[in-house]
Amino acid sequence: MEIKVKCSCGGDTCPEWAIVEVQGVVEAQPSFQDHLQNLEIGQLCRPSSQENYTFTVGYHELTGSKVPLKKPLLVLKKIKYMDVDQTQTQTGADSPSVELQVVGIIRHRILFKTRPKAIISSKLPFFAIISIAVLLIHIHLSFCQVFLCKDIVHSLD
Amino acid sequence: MPNCYGAEAILNIQPGSSTTVAFHPLFAPHDDLILLELDEKLLPEVLHQRVTLRGQPDEDAVLCTQSKTYAVKFVGTSNSVFLIPPSDDSASCENPQICDGKDLNQQVVASVIKVATGNLELVEVPPRIDKLKFLLSENPYSSEDAFMMDEMEETKTRFYKWDDLVDRVQASDDELRAGLRALSAVEIGGYWRIVHENYMDMILRMLLHNSVLNDWSLNALNEDEVVDVLVSDGFPSILARHCLYVYGDKVDEGVSGSMWRLDERRVCMHFARAILREGKRKMESFMEEWTRKIPDGMQANFDMLEGEVLTEKLGVETWVHAFSVSSLPSSPSQRFSMLFRERSKWEWKDLEPYIRDLNVPGLSLEGLLLKYTRRAQPTADAEPVFSAR
Repeated sequence: MEIKVKCSCGGDTCPEWAIVEVQGVVEAQPSFQDHLQNLEIGQLCRPSSQENYTFTVGYHELTGSKVPLKKPLLVLKKIKYMDVDQTQTQTGADSPSVELQVVGIIRHRILFKTRPKAIISSKLPFFAIISIAVLLIHIHLSFCQVFLCKDIVHSLD
Repeated sequence: MPNCYGAEAILNIQPGSSTTVAFHPLFAPHDDLILLELDEKLLPEVLHQRVTLRGQPDEDAVLCTQSKTYAVKFVGTSNSVFLIPPSDDSASCENPQICDGKDLNQQVVASVIKVATGNLELVEVPPRIDKLKFLLSENPYSSEDAFMMDEMEETKTRFYKWDDLVDRVQASDDELRAGLRALSAVEIGGYWRIVHENYMDMILRMLLHNSVLNDWSLNALNEDEVVDVLVSDGFPSILARHCLYVYGDKVDEGVSGSMWRLDERRVCMHFARAILREGKRKMESFMEEWTRKIPDGMQANFDMLEGEVLTEKLGVETWVHAFSVSSLPSSPSQRFSMLFRERSKWEWKDLEPYIRDLNVPGLSLEGLLLKYTRRAQPTADAEPVFSAR
């Protein structure tokens, strides 16, 4: 089968997406885990004109920087659609057609690779209350797994 | 005033200011959003819609540009990669008004739509073209087809159109076309077919026969004339033209039609193959029959058969047998395994014709030899001998 990669931007103005990357996992309190929508994660701050940033999550502060990606990342969106003509003419075309749409491009990420620093501030407990949940950062060794994508096409179905 | 800001809030953050990072109103695993890392040079190909993913459900997917094939690998990460779309992204922020929640003040917010678990990466690979030969070899065109042109409709599920091949063979368009050329495939009634060697033999012999009868020069064959005569002999015109294409080269497009010259090497090779199809032969008897079979005016030369035949010494006799590079797999590991099954030791001059077509991006022939063979050289000025690793 063939999956077309479509792009509506015509090559000029591909919308740029952003990445904020932290080592480890940000976990919400168990009672919020199923409805994270709209929940605040933290405050991202750029203290100076340098590309250095701090990311305050709950009682923790991370420091990091904006790094350009060696190679750009494209954000693709999988779109399924039923094509009536195709289902009639093709044998065994019970699966819908799939298309990948380029919806964005990523050229930078703001990367936080330091251990979180605990911060003590009178403002924080209040902040934690208004942000409804206390978020925890679990840091663990970062590693990358590379494995063959046995059936990307299949999984795209 | 909506406060559903997106990536801009992160990308354009001013010195001395801050922005809230929050989960998007539509935050979810979003398995339909995929990150693809790719070379800057491939970017225009993708943005101008010139790439596709190809493969069957049981195969590793490949991404194809017009001319190249890339394996697609998933690289996982244990980091938390917060993915933030631009605010005007209608796909992920369909209802900006729901961002107008009371919980968030009128502040700058960057909304995380998904936590990415990794991204896809591309690695250039040779096309997986062996399958093309496998598919087309299922039903080669033979004399039966020539008589049953009209009945082909009934059995057409066993044949392949261009689009069927694109669906099934993991290769770019250019590579697929080159593969069809290498197999001397021909498009008949929309279906790509390879022609059975016996049938090609019949047409070629008839063409040569006619050239003697009509006093044609093999260096200047008029396409229309040749095709007309072959059609009157019972061959479909498309196959008659194909015969010129397989064994000849177009030399001129004159007022009286296209002129073709038969290629000595290809014609001679055809007859050598036909002889050795029945089994190995003693060198003298092979050369005798070969010389006799080739048309007048052509000169058989054993060097023409490089990559097609192998010789071996049995006692005082030298024997020749068919061993065609085109019958070998295109993956280097399988190729070398077949080669060392044929012979445990290879001299360079014998080996070279069987590996020079191997195409592994980023690996030279020298690198392939290092990887798949053991090189032995008894003395400094002796010919190196290659054996299996």
